[in-house]
Amino acid sequence: MIHSQWLIPLLPIASAVLVHLLAGRLGKRVAKLSVAVSTLTVVVALYSLIGYITTQSNPYWASLGGSWGSLILDPLSSIMSLVVAGISLIVHIYSVRYMAEEPGYPRFFMLLDLMTASILLMVSAGDLITLLVAWHLVGVLLYFLLGQNTESWPSQRYAFWTFITYRIGDLPLVLAAVLLYQAYGALDFPTLFARIAENPDATSVLGLPVTATVALMVAFSAFAKSAQFPLHTWLPYTMEGPTPVSALMHAGIVNAGGFIINRFAPVFVHSDGVLHLLFIVGLITALIGSVLMLTQNDIKKSLGYSTMGQMGFMVMECGLGAFSLAVFHLIAHGLFKGTMFLGSGSMIGEARQHDGVPHNPLYTFLVERKSASTKLPWLIIGVVTLVVPLAILVLAHWVVAADFFQKQGAIVLLFFGWITGVQVLFATHRLDASNPIRMMMLILLSFTLIVVGYTFIGHAFENFLYPDEAFRNAIYHTAGIDALTFDGLVVLLALIVIGGWISSYLTTRDESLFGNRFGNLQLTLYSLISREFYVADLYDRMAHTLLDVSKRLNVWLRWY
Amino acid sequence: MNSLLLLMAGFFLPLFPLSIVFNALLSRLCHPVLRVMLILVWPQIGVLLLAASGLPLSSDFFLGWGLLTALFYAWRLLTVRDLGQWAAMLATSAWAMTWAAATANDSHSLHAFVLWLSVAPALLILIGVALKKRFGAAYAGLVLGLARDLPRLSALIVIVVLAAMALPLFPAFFALLQLLMHTSIGVAIPVLLTWLLWSWSGTRLLNGLVFGPRSGAIADDLDLRLTWAFTGLIAAIVLLNLIWTGA
Repeated sequence: MIHSQWLIPLLPIASAVLVHLLAGRLGKRVAKLSVAVSTLTVVVALYSLIGYITTQSNPYWASLGGSWGSLILDPLSSIMSLVVAGISLIVHIYSVRYMAEEPGYPRFFMLLDLMTASILLMVSAGDLITLLVAWHLVGVLLYFLLGQNTESWPSQRYAFWTFITYRIGDLPLVLAAVLLYQAYGALDFPTLFARIAENPDATSVLGLPVTATVALMVAFSAFAKSAQFPLHTWLPYTMEGPTPVSALMHAGIVNAGGFIINRFAPVFVHSDGVLHLLFIVGLITALIGSVLMLTQNDIKKSLGYSTMGQMGFMVMECGLGAFSLAVFHLIAHGLFKGTMFLGSGSMIGEARQHDGVPHNPLYTFLVERKSASTKLPWLIIGVVTLVVPLAILVLAHWVVAADFFQKQGAIVLLFFGWITGVQVLFATHRLDASNPIRMMMLILLSFTLIVVGYTFIGHAFENFLYPDEAFRNAIYHTAGIDALTFDGLVVLLALIVIGGWISSYLTTRDESLFGNRFGNLQLTLYSLISREFYVADLYDRMAHTLLDVSKRLNVWLRWY
Repeated sequence: MNSLLLLMAGFFLPLFPLSIVFNALLSRLCHPVLRVMLILVWPQIGVLLLAASGLPLSSDFFLGWGLLTALFYAWRLLTVRDLGQWAAMLATSAWAMTWAAATANDSHSLHAFVLWLSVAPALLILIGVALKKRFGAAYAGLVLGLARDLPRLSALIVIVVLAAMALPLFPAFFALLQLLMHTSIGVAIPVLLTWLLWSWSGTRLLNGLVFGPRSGAIADDLDLRLTWAFTGLIAAIVLLNLIWTGA
């Protein structure tokens, strides 16, 4: 089985070499070669995953024979390999025609293959050095893919932003690897994790606990790779790159943060404070991403901020101890966001060719944000949208795990699920329809199916990724906080949400709780949001200061 | 005697301001072979002097001085636009880290360490020659967008700059990892910051040469045979390094 696992990263590397060597002879036909190898990679990844499940294998580790250069076949690596190979294949197929008019066509496919190989190597790396090599290469290759149009300054500028943020994220992971190696004297994951389990309380030279420090470093790395606040500025601006690259990035690469946290789960289980940090950063990112998404008028940039929000949720799930849910989330998000990006590319292309705005009810509802008049009474719908999602969520989770509500993380997830469900129903019940009651019933049925399906698949997925129940419980336990604080926070959040709903209701009636007293505050807030909280401007100012001083120093020292 | 030897080593594993000697010397040498030889030999003399002074290095003073020099030159590297000067400052920054490596390694490993850090600056000198031959200067910003008309030379510049930024799978990446695996957090942080600054300045250099709209004189691309020669050399270096690191 492990032999096929080696093929998964090696096939795209072979494809990249062949594309480069045969580009002169085959011209644009090299793309077909690249697509063919991508298809083969998906087949091998699928075979590997099915083989792993059907033979009920234990995690398997294999090395090339040296001190590094090893792969691990476990549930995480096998499922991620299939997801990455699948998304890459979709992007490959889409790019064949989409990139046909762009210069550097063979170079694009070569880079795409190398990027696929790097991500596949990253998800299946069996030791710290191999992981570091792959982790660094992902950032480097993304820089060249985003800067595919070598003559465009904006492409180069924003490719650089991505690259430097990724470099900032690379270095904490190096530090984490160094600390782990120094404390436990092993590079390969099986030995390393076994030693951590034996002695989780090891301390570093400075007397800091190794597991907590390493978890913190891994978290920082994940923040940069997955665009967590305040390291998010690169993500919405990468839209200058080709659309297939945006799709690959939003569907696959940006999920690396969730993956790395899962890979180091045996470290995170011994570092409670870091999980709380993950939750807070994820929460802030989800909020800011969502707020900024609402103020964008560029579809791709809006999708960029939407990804930021989703990544916030993913990290937040990790912070709650729901590690497997984060992986499930990143797969689900990867698939729908990938197709959305490719769809948006087609839509932009079509809009350029046929300039016309489709004034149908859906457009009016989604773009102009004007809801159709509905015959359903507001109060009844209000009650239904509040009660039904809660009932469905509670029942679905209770069926799969009776002790579900003893876990704080699960309750918080339920809380978020409930709010999201309410928002979805609120947003959709006003859609134009000849029979609003039937439409509402259909929406509720769809919602029930999604929640029940999601819950069952989510729990099955958790059992697959983390079959050891004791380990699963240990992660939930680590993510927990004391009962009083938890209850207080839940009540506080509930009050904020209720306040938001009342405010939203009054706004629809052109009323306000506070009149015009906070008019200036609203304007200030709006300008802050429209300038994206000045985070990018702050970085720009810092960078210019560093460059100015560097230049002055060089002049004073006569450039020696 | 030991202190005197260490001070002399400070010229060869350059500590600021003693580093000015190497930078001035390199800029005055005209012949590329001499410049490459200087880059390859200079730090090896430093390692010999360190070994003569008696390893392992016990002085925190030299360690701190070396790390500050590495960081200082990496910062200055950000605004250097001449390829020759860039190579010299990168070498200065990289070699200064030998003082950190010396606390944990024997002289045999140190010779290999400085050699792997010298490869990219030496290759940059050769690329500088190719650029000067075509445009009269190897100054980033003078000619832009080489990628469009000179793809082979551009590819070579990109690969060597990536090697200079110590990215995988190039030797400097593993040299730095080796250094970090055997040092404390206090040493690791300035080394990592230096590494980050190399990446920043490297991309600035690429943006000033390879990318952007095409401007500047029309010139011939790199000869195919020369391209293969460079490719073979870089591939051999990477392969040797992978064997050395135990992949």
